[in-house]
Amino acid sequence: MAEFTVTHRYEAAPERVFDAWLDPKVAPRFLFATPTGEMIVCQIDARVGGRFDLTERRPDMGDVKHVGEYLEIDRPRRLVFTFGVPQFNPEMTRVEVEIRPAGSGCELSLTQRDVPDEWAERSREGWSRIVASLEGALEGRQASAWV
Amino acid sequence: MDEYPNIDETLVALADPTRRAILARLADGEARVTDLAAPFAISLNSVSKHIRRLERADLVRREKRGREYILTLNAEPLVQAARWLEAQKALWTWRLGKLDEILKEPPHG
Repeated sequence: MAEFTVTHRYEAAPERVFDAWLDPKVAPRFLFATPTGEMIVCQIDARVGGRFDLTERRPDMGDVKHVGEYLEIDRPRRLVFTFGVPQFNPEMTRVEVEIRPAGSGCELSLTQRDVPDEWAERSREGWSRIVASLEGALEGRQASAWV
Repeated sequence: MDEYPNIDETLVALADPTRRAILARLADGEARVTDLAAPFAISLNSVSKHIRRLERADLVRREKRGREYILTLNAEPLVQAARWLEAQKALWTWRLGKLDEILKEPPHG
């Protein structure tokens, strides 16, 4: 429902990019990191059904725990996991990472989607389309001024 | 995430095509409950349940005028939801960029 995809092009080989996500020495430096935080806990059980805990200490919020489970590990092409931030939300989110070779490097696309079962069967129409169609009601607001 | 406390309520409200159609209709202007229900093949009772869900998310406001209830759209939760989405995207974009920096670091001796 609230789904989006972001992509990034890397000069590194797919295997290096893929392994970073599951490597306890590398993952905490970017995964669930924020610009002002410090990762204080990193536990990764890198197998299908395995769980992870990456907890970041943030100056404004204290310790923020990100926990989840690996659903698919298909090195170096595809990594799928759920995650949740239990302090704020009991619901889990699903993240799909796909890595495709591109030149001597690769292109990574990450898709985040909500997991709650009650939504899973709903219409596929993205809510972002309804936001666009309701633009008339958002009088005077410029999208570029958000965030 | 705690900066968007009502985001879940908004997303659940938007997760239904009937509710989205109701919001699209109200984006054109206010409407009476009965007029709103007219185009749908479902019962007035079902439409009322959807409207209540939208009210819970504060996407729709109800006002009594005389003997009628008039519904209007409140776009603020949609603005919040759009902001939240942009914030999520920006955060992941930053994280993917951070990974790029890490991968470009010289190997440690």
